[in-house]
Amino acid sequence: MPNKMTWLTSGLTLRLTFAALAGLGLGACKILPTQSAQEESKAPTFNPDKAVEDIWASKVIPYLQQKAGPFAEVHALAKTDQAAAGAKYGNPKKQANSPWTFVVRLEGKIVAANTQSRAATIDVDIDGDGKADARVQIGPAMRGTALRDSLDFVQFNDFTNQIDFAQFGKAFNAYADKTVLSKLPRDGLEGRSIKVLGAYTIDGGQDLPLVTPAEAEIGPKP
Amino acid sequence: MKLTRRLTLAAFAGMLALGTAMPAYAADLIAIITPSHDNPFFKAEAVGAEAKAKELGYDTLVLVHDDDANKQSELIDTAIGRGAKAIILDNAGADATVAAVQKAKDAGVPSFLIDREINATGVAVAQIVSNNYQGAQLGAQEFVKLMGEKGNFVELVGKESDTNAGIRSKGYHDVIDDYPDLKMVAQQSANWSQTEAYAKMESILQANPDIKGVISGNDTMAMGAYAALAAAGRKDVIVVGFDGSNDVRDSITSGGIKATVLQPAFAQAQMAVEQANDFIKNKKSPEKEKQLMDCVLINGDNAPKLETFALKN
Repeated sequence: MPNKMTWLTSGLTLRLTFAALAGLGLGACKILPTQSAQEESKAPTFNPDKAVEDIWASKVIPYLQQKAGPFAEVHALAKTDQAAAGAKYGNPKKQANSPWTFVVRLEGKIVAANTQSRAATIDVDIDGDGKADARVQIGPAMRGTALRDSLDFVQFNDFTNQIDFAQFGKAFNAYADKTVLSKLPRDGLEGRSIKVLGAYTIDGGQDLPLVTPAEAEIGPKP
Repeated sequence: MKLTRRLTLAAFAGMLALGTAMPAYAADLIAIITPSHDNPFFKAEAVGAEAKAKELGYDTLVLVHDDDANKQSELIDTAIGRGAKAIILDNAGADATVAAVQKAKDAGVPSFLIDREINATGVAVAQIVSNNYQGAQLGAQEFVKLMGEKGNFVELVGKESDTNAGIRSKGYHDVIDDYPDLKMVAQQSANWSQTEAYAKMESILQANPDIKGVISGNDTMAMGAYAALAAAGRKDVIVVGFDGSNDVRDSITSGGIKATVLQPAFAQAQMAVEQANDFIKNKKSPEKEKQLMDCVLINGDNAPKLETFALKN
């Protein structure tokens, strides 16, 4: 996406380009950075990918860096007192009925990797006992909207409807995948070190906390 | 001006008609308007809302709009005319409903929306909706897993006027489209209807005998599709629904449909009545107008705990 955005430098240019293309009756789907022509016709004014790109470096990363706690600490508190953990490491302005999402920093050793699935994941041992403590999503397919849901400046009420809100959530995953995760190695991962800044949502059903990274580094082969 | 006058007249007529029948100590009235109760989901909403309203000492007026925006508009006139103190509404269209809810607001009757949102804020007091996108993601993730990330599948979509049909389809595709080996061979609307889904599934199956899965926008269509597949001797096809009805629960526990997604319909309707009560008695609006309630994946593991759109502990 960055290569597409360099010559569409502002929202105004983007809109003008769109208008110009629409006026010419050209299919805009190959040029503009949204997923499909169908979506554009539905909501030409909201471009979730651009919205995320606009705030990623200036607001999202600084927020996550400031909010994040060490995984072991956050997860221990989350297990005993979710609300306390949420107030400290989460988004206290979240919807009352939504589960808590926590921002974490984690560092550890990769003990297992599932790169067969498109929803690829890495299991990380953080406390050094040889057993996995967290599962990190490395894309390209990713589950949930943990990055969006961890941000206290993103409110469902500010969106026209669930579709816009949902697309915005997905755009965070897509941006992380494009700029960070797609560049990670995929082979011989076990035994290597990993460092992640990301978020996970408390969910009773899963065995390991599923962390969605905003930043990730994998060390060299041992 | 004309509209206001007509409303005032309607209100008058309503009051006159009821004046003699209504004792002076009559309780405040809450109107509960939903789509047809043929779908157990909407019935659960109405039952949940009515039970909570009665518990809080209200009279209730339960009406169905059959997904007809004109009929909905008339029902809202009726609610205003009957002097309802609040309207609990599962609406008949995200755009068409805005004017109807505004009309109620102008007449001093607050609306509390459940299940489906409208494309405007500041008109209804509350919009308590299931997080359909999150729910669709759960359903799609389970579907992808059951399919082994590959194979041909069919999508049955809901009624187009209902925003949730689009949201769920979008949620499904946001997950499924990340897997290039999953191929959608047919996508059709069966308008939330079981009989329509049965007929559509029959013809889709004839044209595409090599399908491995069906993902459906709701449970009634999933039931229809599964019945058609079973009748054709294709019980091997993976079917996933959405809503969490008792019918699909029973199908899951007997090895038919594989999964669905529970929307907390009963709890949602009750919450709307509680907020209406708070508004009527204390003039207090909920903190946020738009409120999302998360959905829960239902499969063989937890299906036995499902009862009337709620999970028992």
